[in-house]
Amino acid sequence: MHAIELKTITKKYPGAEKAAVSNLCLTVEKGEIVTLLGPSGCGKSTTLRMIAGFKKADKGSITLAGNIMSSSNTWIPPERRGVGMVFQDYALFPHLNVFNNVGFGYKDRDRKERIAEIIELVNLKGYEKRYPHQLSGGQQQRVALARALARKPVVILLDEPFSSLDADLRNHMRLEVKRIIKESGATAIFVSHDQKDALAISDSIVVMNHGIIQQKGTPQEIYQYPRNKFVATFVGQTNILKGKTGEDKYSVITALGAIRRTQPHGLKPGEEVYVSIRPDSLEVNHEGQIKGYIKELTYTGQSIDAVVEVIADDNTKLHLLTHIHPQEHKKVGEPVRLEIIPHFISVMPSCA
Amino acid sequence: MCKKRKNTTKLNNAYFRGVGKQAFPTTLLSFQKKWLDTWRGNPPGPILLIFGLITGIIMSIPIVYVIWRSLSAGAERWIRLLDTRIPQLLWNTLSLAAAVTICAVVIGISLAWIVIRTDIPGKKFWQWILALPLAIPPYVGAVTYIIVFGRSGWTRDLWLNSPWLTSTFGIYPINVYSFWGVFLILSMFTYPYVYLIASAALRKMNNNFEEAARSLGMNTSQIFWRVTLSLLRPAIGAGAILVSLYVMSDFGAVAMLRYVTFTAAIYFQRAGFDTASAAILSLVLILLTIIILWIESVSRRKNKYFQTAGTHRELEILPLGKWKVPALLYVSIIFLFSVLLPISVLAYWSNIGIRMGALDSRFFGFALNSLKISTLTSLLCMLFALPVVYLKNRYPSIISSAIDRLAYAGYALPGVIAALGFIFIFNNHLPALYRTFYMIVLAFIVRFLPQAVQTSEASISLISPRIDEAARSLGCPPWKVLLKVIIPNMLPGILAGGALVFVSSIKELPVTLMLRPPGFDTLAVRVYFEAHEAVYHLAAPAALLIIIASIIPLRYMLSKY
Amino acid sequence: MIKVKKVIALILASAFLMSLLVTGCTTKGTAPSSPADQKSEPRELVVYSNRNEKFVQALLDKFSSDTGIKVVALHGANPLQIIEEANNVRADIFISNDLGSLGYLHLQGLLQESNPNGIETIPEFFRADDNAFFAISVRARGLIYNKDLITEEDMPKSVEDLFDPKWAEVENGYAITRGGNGGMLGHVSALRYQWGDEKTALWIAAIRSNSAGIYQGHGEIRRAVGAGEHTFGLVNNYYFHQQLLEPDNNNVGFIYLDQGDGQMGAVSNAAGVGLVKGGPNEAGAAAFLEWLLMPENQAAFVGESLELLINSQFSAAYPAETQPHIVDFNSLKIQDMPVKELGNYFEGTKELIQASGLDLDLK
Repeated sequence: MHAIELKTITKKYPGAEKAAVSNLCLTVEKGEIVTLLGPSGCGKSTTLRMIAGFKKADKGSITLAGNIMSSSNTWIPPERRGVGMVFQDYALFPHLNVFNNVGFGYKDRDRKERIAEIIELVNLKGYEKRYPHQLSGGQQQRVALARALARKPVVILLDEPFSSLDADLRNHMRLEVKRIIKESGATAIFVSHDQKDALAISDSIVVMNHGIIQQKGTPQEIYQYPRNKFVATFVGQTNILKGKTGEDKYSVITALGAIRRTQPHGLKPGEEVYVSIRPDSLEVNHEGQIKGYIKELTYTGQSIDAVVEVIADDNTKLHLLTHIHPQEHKKVGEPVRLEIIPHFISVMPSCA
Repeated sequence: MCKKRKNTTKLNNAYFRGVGKQAFPTTLLSFQKKWLDTWRGNPPGPILLIFGLITGIIMSIPIVYVIWRSLSAGAERWIRLLDTRIPQLLWNTLSLAAAVTICAVVIGISLAWIVIRTDIPGKKFWQWILALPLAIPPYVGAVTYIIVFGRSGWTRDLWLNSPWLTSTFGIYPINVYSFWGVFLILSMFTYPYVYLIASAALRKMNNNFEEAARSLGMNTSQIFWRVTLSLLRPAIGAGAILVSLYVMSDFGAVAMLRYVTFTAAIYFQRAGFDTASAAILSLVLILLTIIILWIESVSRRKNKYFQTAGTHRELEILPLGKWKVPALLYVSIIFLFSVLLPISVLAYWSNIGIRMGALDSRFFGFALNSLKISTLTSLLCMLFALPVVYLKNRYPSIISSAIDRLAYAGYALPGVIAALGFIFIFNNHLPALYRTFYMIVLAFIVRFLPQAVQTSEASISLISPRIDEAARSLGCPPWKVLLKVIIPNMLPGILAGGALVFVSSIKELPVTLMLRPPGFDTLAVRVYFEAHEAVYHLAAPAALLIIIASIIPLRYMLSKY
Repeated sequence: MIKVKKVIALILASAFLMSLLVTGCTTKGTAPSSPADQKSEPRELVVYSNRNEKFVQALLDKFSSDTGIKVVALHGANPLQIIEEANNVRADIFISNDLGSLGYLHLQGLLQESNPNGIETIPEFFRADDNAFFAISVRARGLIYNKDLITEEDMPKSVEDLFDPKWAEVENGYAITRGGNGGMLGHVSALRYQWGDEKTALWIAAIRSNSAGIYQGHGEIRRAVGAGEHTFGLVNNYYFHQQLLEPDNNNVGFIYLDQGDGQMGAVSNAAGVGLVKGGPNEAGAAAFLEWLLMPENQAAFVGESLELLINSQFSAAYPAETQPHIVDFNSLKIQDMPVKELGNYFEGTKELIQASGLDLDLK
């Protein structure tokens, strides 16, 4: 039995031209943390809201822990779905203190104990009597999480939970939230447009665009082997080149010449493809085959993002992004050589 | 097949409880689809919807009646009124509304600026005391002005006893029963609408604009005229609309000063039981209000100002310097004419009245009636406002915004018109409630619901819809969400609306005059009758009690804004 | 925070409770009692009145304390309200300042015949044939004048004198009421009966243009004349009596018009009561009529109005300031038209007044 099973979900808003979500199928196993990742308007939030029961799918069915929640002839309202939800702005009840926020709607006899337990889990002991406006952003998020988890939901849904936190707190809370969810043993679906959230927290990532799933996989799979150009550009920084597969199963011909991969790409020779080269796969050194000069430098702290202008085989100018070590004192306009490291190079059919 | 059929029925019932058996599944399905589309796939529960619809129907009674009655009044009557009365009434009403609005805006804005932005001595005192005329009904103000300035008033005696005045200026020149008398009195008691809105806007105003202007080399007066004033434009517009609608709907003050506007003419036509003519005049008045509202909405659309959020600093307090004395003098004069004069005249006559035994059991009966009707009206308005704003905010659709529009209709609907519609409907179709206390309460709701809706709407708009969803996902069905989450969080706004309705109800005059059942007089009605007969010692205690009873809720309401 | 919430909740709860109590009270108070319990013991009486509240309330209070029947009164009622409510009758008794209105209501079939004990004390001239309405007190039209501004000799003595524009010349001019005032309506009705419509219309136009002030009611006129704002004003005689009671501005006199030989006599009108057809408290209404016809209560009907009693032998009580100026009604010469017939002229009179240029209501 899957914790969550979505079958051919379609949702079109009245008046909209395209469906917000079309024919979406997805299964999530118990205890898994899945992130729906995509740009705004990709249908990820709509999907989440359909699971929660705030929106009704036009077609398809939603099953949670084996119970049909929504199908062409069944409709379970949100209050009877046993779903916990954490909202972007937390949506804490302003008129209730932490204790009562967490205990909202929890009526079992062990109410006190359960609330105490969950407050302890989110590290908020001692804050029970505070009101939401007396808490910091991180604390509010813990309350929101505790509230969603208190009733031991089948599944917990988190809608852009980190977007209103500042960078430092955000890094910290990612780990915290992951710990809390894992400890509570809940199944979770995140919605995020931030790849860092997705990569840090998820067991698997579902990349969405235009209401369609582009790729599902572990963070590593998504990052290293994007299935199409959209996934490659959306997750992480990359350089996309057009090309054709070569005669053997390892090489592609691009404007930068033939590039060899360490693994076979599994495509027929001569097929039109996109090649994605992560900045980490481009190394600035003296042996590099590709000659160019530095066009732009952006200091980011750990490294420097460098845009290198290269004259390609067909005499067009290409701009390639790479990272260089801050120790290396490069200047704009300086000629450099680039070498392609064969890891992290993806080859994707251009039609996908 | 069979199983599927059963399931479909179950689903439909979730939306249409009580629609009945599915005789024609396809038509029903297509209807269901349309219904869902109307609500953007999110229809409200039946109880909530019925509540909202009832409110909408009650609110539309007077308008529907007036339109129907005036259209069936006959061409002859229309022509007669158009030839004789309407042009004069139009002039009387519009000139008065325009003059009072301009005057109230000037006074309101200038007072707000002085007490908020300058270092005038006694700032806090002025800020509160200058809103006080809101608690003094204009007809009470009119009575006190008649006592002081009237044909046999105090100043006339003073004038006639001062030979040098009579010899230099001749006979007593002041005539309160004139355009200028009505104009002055209405201005004195309506400026708080502008003053309060402008004060709130000034407090919220972002200092960055003024600093930017100052860095461009503008001096204080240039900043006031070019920056502050233009940023205040939305507040001025809102205040001006309130004042002009008030002037057009006021009955008491104009009736006491025998200045005939549309409202007074409607009342007297009705008092003479020429209901058809009253309906015609009402329709013209409604059209007039609609035109004014339309002009306002157009001008507002043309001038959209946004104040950038983000850095917000306290506004700089400007030192008055040599202007301190003139400013104090100005503020004091307004205070004198709008607060001190009426209150002291009432206190003087109340003192006489109380010594003559005005506070008898009859008086307390009237007071109790006023209290009953105002309390019940404000409670019901709070109750009725809830589904209206909840529907509009949480279930947006044509239906919910139509209900919302209707709920606001009372703003533009003078009391006399509301009363006109109610008399007819109840006398002919609901005789059980005709001439009962409840008929007045219902008419009051039509009149004052907008006030409760407006404050409630302001407070529900601060509650994110995500809060509702959070509660839903935690196991609360919609009605429980409303009860456990929405209402507690809206409470301050709802109560402020209730307070406003209470103040409006306790001083309401024309609706009560027209609808009161036998033996049911309110304080306001007593003030009107006693003052009409010049029995001031009986009018004054009642008027004073209205003012005192208004001050407490007014304070509460003002503390919320 | 939590305290504020609790306080607010408490306020709301108590307010709600209060409203429940309130509604409970009012239902008892104003709901018309069912006819069933009326049969046995009259408990309540609904009175509509367009007579000055001060006099009527005192009379009704006396009735309540004499009989124990509770009276619910609507003061300032228009007789036309009885017509509007014909299908939904709320009133039992209509007390009118003007017998004409009662006659009009009777004409419309909205009053009901009665035969109370004591009705024979009222002369037939002052009651309907079936006693559906009858008068108790009378008044005569005339001119109140300020003795500081004019002497009795200089005053006009006849209605016809007012055709003369010279009366516009007196100091501060003279005052009349708006056309829709009950007293004015009655006066014009009587003139129409006497003169016909044409002459009456000219008279209305004359006073309309010669008068210096047009007022809502007579109370304002008597005060204005007393204060010297006008030299004289066309009012009913009891307003003169009232002005005499004022602590100051009371140096006023009164002219009963057309008392000479061959003249039409003062236009008189009467105040009285009518029994509304199908009222909710029949027994109470019957009790009220009989009570009212008792000599003591006829005198009470006059009360502070300072009108004249038809049955002057029942001697209404007048204050010392007024007493010397009270005339015996039987000694006055009054118009030929029976007062009870005023109602027949009611409708036409309004139109005539308006057509002659005098507004029914102040603009």
